[in-house]
Formats: sequence, C-alpha cells, structure tokens
Amino acid sequence: MSDLQFCKRCLYATTHPLGLVLDDEGVCSGCRIHEEKNSLDWDKRWAMLEGLVKPYRNQEVKNYDCIVPVTGSQDSYFIVHLVKERLGLNPLLVTYNKYFNTPLGIRNLANLRIRFNCDIVYQNINPVSVKKITGTTLRRFGSVYWPILAGHTVFPVQTAVRYKVPLIIWGAHQGLEQVGMFSHEHEVEMTRRYRKDHDLMGHEADDLISIFDTLKEDDIWQYRYPDDRDLNTVGVRGIYLGNYVRWDSKAQHEQMMREYDYRTAFFNRTFDCYDYVDCFNYMDIHDQLKLYKHGYSKVTDHACREIRFGRLTRQEALALVRKHEQAPLKYIDQFCDWLGITPRALQFLMDQYRNPEFWKETDVGTWEFNGWSSQYEVEKIIDDNPVEHPDIFVGNDSLEHGRDAKYITIGKGWS
Amino acid sequence: MLKKRLVGIVTIRNGWAVQSFGYRRYLPLGKAEWLVENLDRWGADEILVQVIDRSIASSGPDFDLLERLGNLGLETPLIYAGGIRSVSDGVKAIQLGADRIVVDSLLHGNQESVKELSIQLGAQAMIASMPLACEGDTIMWLNYRNGISTPVMSNSLDLIESGMISEVLVTDWLHEGKPGCFDQNLISKFPLQEVPLIAFGGLSVPEHMSALLYRNNVVAIGVGNFLSYNEHSIQKYKEALTDDFLRLSNYESNYSLLADV
Repeated sequence: MSDLQFCKRCLYATTHPLGLVLDDEGVCSGCRIHEEKNSLDWDKRWAMLEGLVKPYRNQEVKNYDCIVPVTGSQDSYFIVHLVKERLGLNPLLVTYNKYFNTPLGIRNLANLRIRFNCDIVYQNINPVSVKKITGTTLRRFGSVYWPILAGHTVFPVQTAVRYKVPLIIWGAHQGLEQVGMFSHEHEVEMTRRYRKDHDLMGHEADDLISIFDTLKEDDIWQYRYPDDRDLNTVGVRGIYLGNYVRWDSKAQHEQMMREYDYRTAFFNRTFDCYDYVDCFNYMDIHDQLKLYKHGYSKVTDHACREIRFGRLTRQEALALVRKHEQAPLKYIDQFCDWLGITPRALQFLMDQYRNPEFWKETDVGTWEFNGWSSQYEVEKIIDDNPVEHPDIFVGNDSLEHGRDAKYITIGKGWS
Repeated sequence: MLKKRLVGIVTIRNGWAVQSFGYRRYLPLGKAEWLVENLDRWGADEILVQVIDRSIASSGPDFDLLERLGNLGLETPLIYAGGIRSVSDGVKAIQLGADRIVVDSLLHGNQESVKELSIQLGAQAMIASMPLACEGDTIMWLNYRNGISTPVMSNSLDLIESGMISEVLVTDWLHEGKPGCFDQNLISKFPLQEVPLIAFGGLSVPEHMSALLYRNNVVAIGVGNFLSYNEHSIQKYKEALTDDFLRLSNYESNYSLLADV
C-alpha cells in the first residue's frame, strides 16, 4: 500500500496490515492515540460506561445482561472481572473451540468460569469442516487461523441474536490499540466491516466457496455473520471496554495472576508470557506466517506496546524482537498430524506466502530475511552497544501444563 | 417530492481509507473496498470515494481502486474524486464504473477541461469540490494543493452557474471530522443560492443534518468519519432524520437466525 517508513517512537512501519499513518513529526497514529491513555479522565469514562450499560440490566432475572466472549487467555479474566465484579452485570460467557487448545488454556478457561461463577456456552464446529476450511484458507491466503478468528468474532454475535441478549462486551479494540485507528473518544463499537477487513483478511465465510475447492455451504454456514435485520431486531451492539478503561494488558494480567490464579507460559517467539497461552499455534505456525507475509511478527506488536507504556526503550524492544522473531517452531508436528499434511508440504505452502519485499530465496530452500527488524535506523546503535534483554514478564506454567503437547479438542476441567 | 441523499464518504490517502480531521490529521481505517461494500449494503444513497493525495502528487486518478470497486458490483451510485488532470482521466474514471466525478484542481487551473468533460459526460456527472471556510463575512476557498485560501473566483462561479456542473460539494474543511461542527453559514452565504449543494464536514448530529436538508439548495449531505464508529450508521441516521427527505432505511436479510422463531 505504501513505502516502508518507520515510526520514530515505536517499531511499527507504514506497511502494517491494519494501516498506519505517520504525522508530520514522524510519529505513528498508534503512538499518538496511545498518548490519550495518559490524558483522558478515566474515572469520567468509567461513569460513562456505567451509564451505557444501565439499560441492559435485566431487572427480573429472566435473561443475561450481556454476552462476553472469552478464551483461556488474552484479556478474558480482566474483562469478566470488570463486567461481573465492577459493573455488577450477569454475563453469559461464550467461547469458540479453536481445536488447537493447550492444556494450560483449558485449565485457565475452567478456572475462569469457576472463579467468576458464570454460565458459559461452547461452540464446537465439526472437525471435518474446520479442517477443510483450514486447508482452504492456508492454500488461498496463507492463514491457518481464519476459522478461529471467524468463529471467535461471529459466535458471540450469533449468540446475542439467538438468546436475544443485545449487549456484547469485548475487551480492547485491536485497531485502536495497535495503529490508532480510532480515538478512545470515538467510542467505536463492533462492526461487520471491521471484522471482514481486519479479522478475516477480507474474506467472509461465503467468499471461501469456490468451484475449484471441495468446501461446501454445509462447511461454512456456521461462520456467517448474522443478518443486518436480525441485528437490528434484537438491537445487538458490541462495545469495547478499552474505550472506558485505561487498557494495560500487562498490568491487568498480573492483577489476574495475583487475584484469580491466571497462569502463564514462556514462548520461543515472544517475550510476553501472558497472551495466547491457550493455543499451540498462535505463537507458532500462525506467527511464522505473519512474519512471512508482513515482515514482522507478534513480538513486534508486544514490543511496540511496551515502548508506548515506557517499560522498554526502543533499543531494548528491538533487541527483544531480534532475539525472538526467528525462533524455531515447536508444535509443527502436531499441526501436520491434525491437518493430515506432511511437514514438507506445509513448508511448501507456507513459502508461497513469503512476501518478496521481505524475503529473498538465495538458494533452494534458503531464504534471506529483510523484514522490519533488519531495516531500523537504530540497528547500528545496537550492534555497537549490545542491549540487555529485559525480563519484565513472568511465566509461571507451561502450555503443556504438565501433560503431553497434544491438542485438547474438548476439555471441561483440569487437574 | 424528489428525495434528497445521504452520501457516504470514504477518504483515501496513501492507499488506505482514513479518517480525516481538518485536512491535516489522519487515522487509518482499512481497505477502501470494504468500506464501500459496507456502505452499499447499508443503503447509502450515494458513495463518494475521494483520494486526497493524487492531485498533490500529480499521479492521476487511482484507476486500480476504481477497478476493484467496479468488481464489487455496487448497487449504489459511485462518485469518484481525486487526481483528475484531464478530460481523458475523467472519461476513464466513468468507464471504470464511477457514475459521477468530482473536480477540484481543474477548477483552479484548467476550466476548459471541465467544460469539455461536461460536454462528453453530461453535466449530471460533474460535481465541483469547494473546500470553504468563513472569515468574517467572506467565504474563502481553499486550494488544498498549496494550502492557500482565497475568495471564490468569479470565473469559477460563472462556470458553475453556466450549467456545466450539476452540484457543488461544499466541504467545511476546518471542521472536517469534528462532531456537530458544520458551519451552516457556508450554505447560507454561498454565492450561488440556486445551485444544488452537497454539504460535508463535521456533520454528525441529526438535528444539524435536518436543518440543512430543509434548505432548498441542499440536495445531499455527506458523512465520512462518523460512519465508521457504529454498526448500521447509515440506517440510524436515516431513522433519526424523521422528516420525509431521504429514502427509508433498509436492513438486508439473507440468512436470518430469527426466521423460524
């Protein structure tokens, strides 16, 4: 979309897949919007949130007050904490089974529903369709994560329509947090357009059906977004807590670790131990594909966030990115077994999505990386003055949680 | 009564759809085609796609974008603005699927091309863009390529009045992106009161929109940034504008989850 230019403050570039704008001072839209976290009156914004949710409280205890999408990781604990304990709402938790579940994620999710004492609905799409869709999205646009992103973003909306619970409460808006797509004061809400554009990489469920593929309507219909008319009839709206709470994922996770025994794990490919502990593939194959396609990976997202909060310098952050982003994958055999594909075939498919702007094949099967982390102006400073790798996150468990590294398809509890 | 129109406006800079604030600050939104597709589904009466960095860079219209938009099979009339340098540029934009085009730079520097475009395409396809601001009692016209504002030139007004242009897009550029801030003086003091106007810039409050639509010379209102904050923004605006100016709101339904309930 645009020439590669870097923000002077964080590590993001203008080729960010969500879009990124640099201002006249060379500072990106994400950093500018982040400044609002230190300037807005968050007490006032919390009061606005209380007013916003007030009409949705059920006085007669005949239905839930709201829907809260959850997983066994990310910000789920904090979201439920805010909704149930601070706002005093009675939420229905909903979760989409991603199939790549870690024992730790199953444990965290079970602990979540028990500690917060909430009802929960699970969506399990049949494995044959999920595997077919995963194969299709891997071949067609280099994503093994489309069904999970699609399921996680549509199942709560479908549940809102079916249960006639109009209010959906999400955590932070990723477009706002990463690239400053909106001001907090815009109070942006969930939209189908954002989901298609960014979560689904421009492909809604029906777009996957093709005469050149074996996918049928029977496989994809569960991922269809509810009709506009249904949404309007029920009055469905999805709000983001991040517009009303000073969102700080690291601090929030640490609070949840202390107060609710949320458990965390170290990763090869990032220094953040708190996000994505529920999935074997997000910080593995999915992250590798992100590096192939976009020239940066999740560790850069984490690094930019920590720069903005002032917990890492730009040099420290870059050192951490370089330490982690090329780390080898750990769980590729499990994915190949699940999908029924050989590692060689998988690598062939993944190589099709290496962006030539960032990758050059110097010999058969040998690739030279020229992604974002190779191009920063601070490179020389780091080479001359080696930077420590700050250890600011705490891993207190492992993805395997004392078990084998195997996907848990259905997991109701933990031991 | 001939209906008036609610125009969904998508602003594009550096290849990305953006929110624009006062012609100087921008936030990324995403890919233009998905915003346009969404406005089409929501039932916007017209969609204006304005590519704001093409004239400054002298890079011509974004024909690739127009091709992608053409492939969407839109049901909503599409207006294209941005980088039109010549008659052939304007004609090609129409050939690629735009129903109407907006000229801005040409008004400042090449009015002969505007006339020729009007002859070839018809005046109904021609919209003049005028970013305006009030300075005292004077309406000042911004040349956004050099950032200089001047009083509206009489030859431009003559051209508009001659019938070569069907409508004027009056943009309150100072208040663009600021909620509820459109300066209604730009309409009441506009020098040509008989020319149909599209009002845009800081329009987010239904009461303000309604006041504009009551004016005979305002045939349409444009909304940009504010359409991206909520689901069904077009329908909600239409429902809030209870007077009988606009087509009714519509909610598409193909696979209802409630159908059997």
